[in-house]
Amino acid sequence: MDPYQSRRWVIILIILFIGVIFLSRLFYIQVIDSKWIDRAQSITHSRKIIKPSRGLIYDRNGELLVIAKQVYDIWTTPKDIGEVDTLELCEVLGITKADFDKRLKKARNYAPYKASVFIEGISQEDYGSIITKLKHYKGFETKKNTQRGYPHDIAAHILGYIRKISAEQYAKDKLKEEPYYLMDDYIGITGLERTYEKELRGKRGALEYLRDRLGNEATELSTNYAQEGKKIYSSIDLNLQEYGERLMNNKIGCIVAIEPATGEILSMVSAPTYSPTGLVGRDFAKTWSALSKNDSLKPLLNRSVYNSNYRPGSIFKLVQALIAMEEGVISESTGFPCNKSLIGCHNHESPSNIRTAIKHSCNPYFFQVYKKLILRGESNSIFIDSRIGLTKWKEAVASFGLGVKFNSDIPGVKKGNIPDTTFYDKWYGKNRWAFSTIYSNSIGEGEIGVSPLQMANLAAILANKGYYYTPHLVKKIGEDGDKKLSFKERHYTMVDSSYYTPVREAMEQVVLSGTARQAQVDSVAVCGKTGTVENKSFNDHSVFIAFAPKDDPKIAIAVYVEYGTWGGTWAAPIASVMIEKYLKGVLSEKGKRKEKRILEAIILDKNSDFKH
Amino acid sequence: MAREQNILKKIDLPLLLMYFALAFMGLLTIYSSSYDENYPAIYTWTKPYGKQLFWLFVSAAIGGIILLMDSSLIKKSSYFVYGFVLLMLMVVLVMPPINGARSWFKLGSFSLQPSEFSKFATAMAIAFYMSRINVKLQDIRTKATLIMIIAIPGGLILLQPDAGTLLVFFSFIFVMYREGISGNILLIALLGLVISVLGVYVSSFETAEVNEANINELIAQGSYSASRYKEIARGAGFYSNNYTLAIGLFIVGGISTLLVRFFVLPRYRKSYYPAVIISTVGAILIVIAINWSYDHVFKTRHRSRFQIMFGVKEDRRGDGYNIYQALSAIGSGEVTGKGFLKGTLSNEKYKHVPEQSTDFIFCSWSEEWGFIGNTVLILLYVSFLIRIVMIAERQRSKYNRIFGYSVASILFFHFLINIAMVIGLAPVIGIPLPFFSKGGSSILSFSVMIFILLRLDAGRSEELY
Repeated sequence: MDPYQSRRWVIILIILFIGVIFLSRLFYIQVIDSKWIDRAQSITHSRKIIKPSRGLIYDRNGELLVIAKQVYDIWTTPKDIGEVDTLELCEVLGITKADFDKRLKKARNYAPYKASVFIEGISQEDYGSIITKLKHYKGFETKKNTQRGYPHDIAAHILGYIRKISAEQYAKDKLKEEPYYLMDDYIGITGLERTYEKELRGKRGALEYLRDRLGNEATELSTNYAQEGKKIYSSIDLNLQEYGERLMNNKIGCIVAIEPATGEILSMVSAPTYSPTGLVGRDFAKTWSALSKNDSLKPLLNRSVYNSNYRPGSIFKLVQALIAMEEGVISESTGFPCNKSLIGCHNHESPSNIRTAIKHSCNPYFFQVYKKLILRGESNSIFIDSRIGLTKWKEAVASFGLGVKFNSDIPGVKKGNIPDTTFYDKWYGKNRWAFSTIYSNSIGEGEIGVSPLQMANLAAILANKGYYYTPHLVKKIGEDGDKKLSFKERHYTMVDSSYYTPVREAMEQVVLSGTARQAQVDSVAVCGKTGTVENKSFNDHSVFIAFAPKDDPKIAIAVYVEYGTWGGTWAAPIASVMIEKYLKGVLSEKGKRKEKRILEAIILDKNSDFKH
Repeated sequence: MAREQNILKKIDLPLLLMYFALAFMGLLTIYSSSYDENYPAIYTWTKPYGKQLFWLFVSAAIGGIILLMDSSLIKKSSYFVYGFVLLMLMVVLVMPPINGARSWFKLGSFSLQPSEFSKFATAMAIAFYMSRINVKLQDIRTKATLIMIIAIPGGLILLQPDAGTLLVFFSFIFVMYREGISGNILLIALLGLVISVLGVYVSSFETAEVNEANINELIAQGSYSASRYKEIARGAGFYSNNYTLAIGLFIVGGISTLLVRFFVLPRYRKSYYPAVIISTVGAILIVIAINWSYDHVFKTRHRSRFQIMFGVKEDRRGDGYNIYQALSAIGSGEVTGKGFLKGTLSNEKYKHVPEQSTDFIFCSWSEEWGFIGNTVLILLYVSFLIRIVMIAERQRSKYNRIFGYSVASILFFHFLINIAMVIGLAPVIGIPLPFFSKGGSSILSFSVMIFILLRLDAGRSEELY
């Protein structure tokens, strides 16, 4: 008999014991402890962002103004770069050593072991030569991206530009309830790109997948496709805009043209302008600093909506006449003597009614009109009387869209300045001013400040005989979309439409036989009014507004030419060729002569000597 | 012919069926863990599953031949097989190394690993030697010879080097235990193991603490950076708790001596004193030796593995990577598993678990079949091992019994170390899971073991010794 037979049980027990231990441990890992499931998920699951392509921008006739161009971004993972010949690498990338160090430092500060953008927006042409050499360097990779492209290279101020989101904007977005942006997203900074950022950016998608050990996509789990940005159809007329920019070449000032029946802006030129292409991709910083710092003419400024020293000049007399008739302080046939002791004027017969007053742009006439509006005899104190008058006047002026900020889609719109009692109280002190202090307002000088956009809108009001639509830049969001509802709302002035007739007729006379004969267009009834905005030691600004044709207005326009002297000298002919081009497509012989003269003129000097 | 039919009828069906079940499960797991969408056929020869299938056929064929052989021929060839394998182990040492080890003969796209065959060859040699009539295990001479039989292949394998396989040779201690060496040896071995583990644990724990304190200090100074930080050892004058442990052991030894002095009859004292004194001194020496080796013999990566195993450190990127990935794969299988071919961590496509079709193949099974599948696997394995023990016990011939126990011990050791490692109960040791891990030599060697056992068992009634 084997004496050690019973030892088999010890061995069997050991085997069973190990089996029990294994099963208990496995039960714990697989059934009780749930942390391993999460850990497995974080090992295997991954997601990739699918970026939407940014919406394109069209003109009012469906011509492309802004396209999306394929470019490449170079990304770097600083930790992977290793030892390299920096100078050689700089040559490959086409940057300086200092720039290279700066960019690398930025990437390192972001995260040394994570990829971040090193150089953005390399064009397809440059990419070819860079990639063949860059392949030999570790820690660099290229990714496709899209950037803005401008087939016509115009309307820089209107379209605006996009940039990689700044750290501040990113932080601000993060505080929102539903933050959207990623660190490498682009965002609209100015122009339509900014106003319609939400519509243009589209909606990001994501791809969920299982990755392998190396991080490659092994199995797709789900895809949430990106929604591309909406197409924006602007109200701009490509040809008119291009033409306007050509006309304003070598000049400082602006042109704003509006379709009176809708309030849609047909063209908005601010000169000097710049090429929007310059603010794309890797050239951005260089171009931007050149435009913002090294250019005394401030090309980045959109003068159409903002310039602190623009006043309406004589054009404002139209508003004064309308308000005075509505208020009943004068009638259509009220006459005043041209009394040059009140305020300076040129030689002409004394106006016997509104029409001749406007035609001759008589300063003393409107001095007296304004006096009647301000001093209505409602108080014995001229100070108090002036207060009452100014308040009523200001209210009426505001109904013309002057001194108020349009709730529009044009970034940077300013309200201008129509002075009120608070303004003068601050300026002079309460009850220390009266009509005699503020009479310059009567002829559109003094403390009145307007934007050319407001002037164009004034032309539109006159064209519509008393109402306007908020001027706007976009007529359609998305292919089958519509414009914003608020843009379809009519705003009436406080002046009855019947009072517009004499003013409009006077404006026609201004063009036919008054100060704006330069604005005549063959077989089109143009109504206009010149303005000459005073500059003390320099040439005056040449200003003109107009609408045409008189009976069925298609275009309302305002032109400012800084230091262009008389309104009729430059602003009126520019407006007339714009009108002719828009209404007829081609210029008449007379138009061509005007165009030639305009194109040849260089008005950048504040004291140019013009031979009339 | 009549006799052969007889043999086939006498084959132990439960063991054979369990063998087929394990082989089938293994093939399925290799298929899943190295699945290539472009070659879905299981007989694709260039893929691991095709090779495994091939080796299973080879194993079956050789198994058939073994079943047709005479039991006595198998026994008589024991030394020859042992000698032949030793020769192969020597020749393989001059072969070009693969992955830093000279363990393989390369034959085209197939490779042969002689150390796998050394396992059953050594078992045969031990069985043959011990079944000789005049051999008694109690003799020192016998013990020395047995140690020689085990140490020669063991030493050759260590030269390759392949520490994992060497470890398997320790499994013969179970065989010796069954054959009658003192149970105290097993007990002493167990005690030594416990004290060693305790010593390593204390050292690991203290090193981890020292490092954490150091890191905190560096963070406070502002000069800590994870990539540059190197682990530091315990300081030179560090007072380790292992010393306290040694002192404790000394006190226990002293009290035991006093107990012997007062409570044991004088005539027995003589045999008790040496036992108490030797085991006390031995235990103290082990603790101090381990404490010293921990700092001076082991390398940072070994220390790291110990710390990870004891859970005092988690390093999912460096030394703890394998086990972290393995546990993630197993844990994500949950109760029912992800389903056949639906694993997302431990297969060729994703490869998040390294060695997913060799040493870590258990992950693949666990991930796809879940806790239910694991229960089946563990129960099947345990039943398989117990069945082998039962078969060994019913042998009249000593050779058969010893060989049976050797097979059980070898398989049990593989099972124990491999799964304990994969589920984080033991440090990472490269050792395959029999019938599951891919490898032709492995499946062939284990199959040959089982078929020899089946043949010996079938013929047990004919045997006299």
